[in-house]
Amino acid sequence: MRGILGSRLFWGVLGLLLIAILLPLGVSGYILGVLIPAYYFAVFAMSWDLLFGFAGEVNFGPTFLVGLGAYGAGILDAETGWPIAVCVVFGTAMAIIGGVLLALPALRLSGPYFGLITLVAVLLLQQMVTVFAHWTGGEIGLTVPDVLSIDDNTNYYFALGFMAISGLILFGLSRSSAGLILQACGQDPVEAQALGFNVAKHKLAAFCVSAFFSGLAGALLVFYYGTASPGTVIDLAVGVQVIIAAVLGGRRTILGAILGAVFLVCAGEVLRPLGQLSTFVVSAFALVVILFVPAGFLGTLLHRRSEA
Amino acid sequence: MSVMRLLPALAVLALPVAAAAADPIKIGIIAENSAISGIAIPNGAQIAADEINAKGGIDGRKIELVAYDDHNSAADAVRAIQRLATQDKVNAVIASYTSEVALALEPWAGRLKMPTITPGAASDDISKRIHADYDHLKYFFHGYLASSFLASATCDAAKDLLVDSKYHMKSAVIMSEDAAWTTPLDAGFIECLPKVGLKVLDHIRMSPDTTDFTPIYNGIEGKKPDVIITGISHVGVQPTVQWANQQVPIPQFGISSQATSSTFWKDTNGATEGIVLQLVAVDSVPSTPKTVPFAQAYIKKYGITPAYSGYGAYDEVYYIADAIHRAGSTDPDKMVDALEKTDWQGTVGQIRFFGKDNPSTHAMEYGKDAVSGLFVQWQDGKQVPIWPASVAGSNTLKFPGFVKLTN
Amino acid sequence: MLALQVLIDGFAISALYGLGAVGFTLMFGVSGVLNLAHGGTMLVAAVVAWLAADTVGALGGAAAGLAAGMATAFATYFLVVRPIQRSRSIPREETEIFVLTGTLLWGIMIQEAVAYFTTTSPHTVRPLIAGVTEIAGVRTPTNEILTAVLCWATIGALWLLVNKTKAGKALLAASINPRGLTLLGYELSNIHLLVWAIYGVLAGVAGVLLGAFLGVSSDNAGTLTASAFSIVVLGGLGSVSGSLVAAYCVGYLETITSYLISPAYRNIPSLILLVAVVYLRPQGLLGRR
Repeated sequence: MRGILGSRLFWGVLGLLLIAILLPLGVSGYILGVLIPAYYFAVFAMSWDLLFGFAGEVNFGPTFLVGLGAYGAGILDAETGWPIAVCVVFGTAMAIIGGVLLALPALRLSGPYFGLITLVAVLLLQQMVTVFAHWTGGEIGLTVPDVLSIDDNTNYYFALGFMAISGLILFGLSRSSAGLILQACGQDPVEAQALGFNVAKHKLAAFCVSAFFSGLAGALLVFYYGTASPGTVIDLAVGVQVIIAAVLGGRRTILGAILGAVFLVCAGEVLRPLGQLSTFVVSAFALVVILFVPAGFLGTLLHRRSEA
Repeated sequence: MSVMRLLPALAVLALPVAAAAADPIKIGIIAENSAISGIAIPNGAQIAADEINAKGGIDGRKIELVAYDDHNSAADAVRAIQRLATQDKVNAVIASYTSEVALALEPWAGRLKMPTITPGAASDDISKRIHADYDHLKYFFHGYLASSFLASATCDAAKDLLVDSKYHMKSAVIMSEDAAWTTPLDAGFIECLPKVGLKVLDHIRMSPDTTDFTPIYNGIEGKKPDVIITGISHVGVQPTVQWANQQVPIPQFGISSQATSSTFWKDTNGATEGIVLQLVAVDSVPSTPKTVPFAQAYIKKYGITPAYSGYGAYDEVYYIADAIHRAGSTDPDKMVDALEKTDWQGTVGQIRFFGKDNPSTHAMEYGKDAVSGLFVQWQDGKQVPIWPASVAGSNTLKFPGFVKLTN
Repeated sequence: MLALQVLIDGFAISALYGLGAVGFTLMFGVSGVLNLAHGGTMLVAAVVAWLAADTVGALGGAAAGLAAGMATAFATYFLVVRPIQRSRSIPREETEIFVLTGTLLWGIMIQEAVAYFTTTSPHTVRPLIAGVTEIAGVRTPTNEILTAVLCWATIGALWLLVNKTKAGKALLAASINPRGLTLLGYELSNIHLLVWAIYGVLAGVAGVLLGAFLGVSSDNAGTLTASAFSIVVLGGLGSVSGSLVAAYCVGYLETITSYLISPAYRNIPSLILLVAVVYLRPQGLLGRR
């Protein structure tokens, strides 16, 4: 059964990927413009799912890692004008340092206490952006001089490729023996320890991997928009969106986060003519899904199939 | 070249001419609909579009508006301008009252070759960047007074009303919010206030997230200035109400964007009594023959007076249409050329833009025969014009009882 | 002079923080729910009070705000929290994250609805008493004194309710050993209803007072939740007296920072204190593990 299920998932993913690759042939640049940030967003959500779904850490601050990557890269570019690749590496490194900083309390604390630390980390980062407005551009924005490309197709394939590779690695990790150990550590750390697994080492690794992808995606997003602002990459509301995307798509599925993220961004865009009410409608829909289909899109799909 | 290859080219040439007669002129609007200064933008633009369409349009073409809410977020605004350019295929965009959002849109206006005008952002960086990279950024126009002009206007008014008057004020504290638009504003204040005879005792920049202003006011009071010179836009209600509730004995004078709308009286439960602020236009003063009719139409339609950005958005629809008329085309480069030659009598004054060689490229001209603005004071629920003397008439400054003046 | 000013200003703001946090912590102590729509509840109370004050006066407005706070609390319970707690498809060990996510979404919906109907600009509830009073030479708005008094009166009433009434004692017992309470014949669901009602009153009063003291805007909803959450964790989850102590620590730390350093850095020291305490003493100042 498991093999068939795996291969069904495999064919499904392949089919969707193929559609995504062929999409630029058939749709306008505008739709690509909507999907590009959605793909980066999907990487945020997959990284979060690795931490929550597998390591069992309630992380309210995905945007702490994203923001460090984004601002690290953006500020370096704005100050020095160095090549984008160098700035992205720097931003990613900042995010990994942030990930380690978050991991240390996570090894000692649990549940709401750790959740709060991550929440505070985001608030502190946001405060820093305001206080050091001289470098960060303050409340609503740092404008970076360079962008990846102004061509929609280039940006699209870059984002798609990045998401596909990140998804492959994260999914592979989650299904590897390391992923299973991680899951065991998350669900019952004491037993995992008793079985001889180094819980601390595995959790630390999970934080670093999550931070690596969050930060990298954040840095790349800055060079797509040409701007970084707390409202785009740090604000708690963005973090909430990331969590909702992962939960909508299905926890512990990694790839479900892609569906959730693409759905959220597209729904926001389709509902844009509703103006202020669009956020209300999207939140209400997400709430209904959580209440009635708590396993999420992919979770439900896989569950049904395994029952059949 | 064969005839076969020429034919399609001819067809392409012929088509737009035939289509242009019927196609509407599409203008995109990007604004934060839940803020007073934001919603005034689509509202003001709609009145202009309705008026133009009622008269049969421009060259037979109707004006069609496509409006999106940006929630005051740079990312949402960037997505909106992409959608407007590639999906809705608008001919021009009117966007935002926030400098950070305008600055984020500026390079996108360039990349998408989309003539874009901001009716309410103030940062001087908007026009400085256009000057520095004209070829890429020339599609952006600054349709509101730049911060440095706002500072000059405030100093000029302060000289007449506070220094060379019975008040003989000598010192001031600058209180402004930490944002892109106040950086050049504060620099302007620090330079020009001493020149008009007001010594700057302190300069306070607060986070736009501030909710408790008690420590700020107590700190200012400790310095014993004669007046507080303000630069606030994202905050407004809270500093005003707390100023009145705590009975801070120092008058407030300067830029307070939220106070430009008539709803501010109710929002502050009347605490705005005595606040003096700069406006580009007000419903009771005919800055030009167009000001009062527009303000009346706006009040009739929406029940409140337009916030400052509403006047700008209304004018912009008109002079965008005028530019398209003069250019005879909606080609972005031709539109930019035409917009640069704008000399339009709007609701706020005579609107012209500085040219390519001016360091403030595409900034709106400030001055007596251009756009000069005025100062009003909230008195008994109304914005009463008090400067310049030509519009003030017999109106004089009246402060609430708790304000202690040194006259 | 400065010291006295800090003392007075800090006292009022701390009392408000305390009142805001008490309901939040009580809820967690009794029913294990962290309500992330907390800021939204306070927001609704304040905005309704502001709207109603126009037609029915300041006092009637305050009453309307209180009622709105309670209504929002019950809506949160019946529409969001209870369905999640009773859902069969949500695994027990994950109820917590679902309640957090659910109330978070609900809070966003409240915030957006308020923004839609009343814009994002802040509203200030008409104060019950206008004017200022001199306290040893410090000019203090009378409303600020009233705010502090009403906060403590409400907290006092809560203390009486919990310690002196039968229902209150059952509440206390539920926070210590819910299973034991059911053995004594109490319906846990009734206890939950009671705690949500108390929570609604506390959040409603806090919202109205905050609206009159500083003013609130729909943008503040998230910040209000985060600050209540921080204070509650600082004091120790579930500990009412701990929350009050923490509220005063945070309130005074913020006031001292804004007077002596700069209003721009107001929140930073208290956030750092919070991180330090959670690192070194995760159970909080007065919490039990």
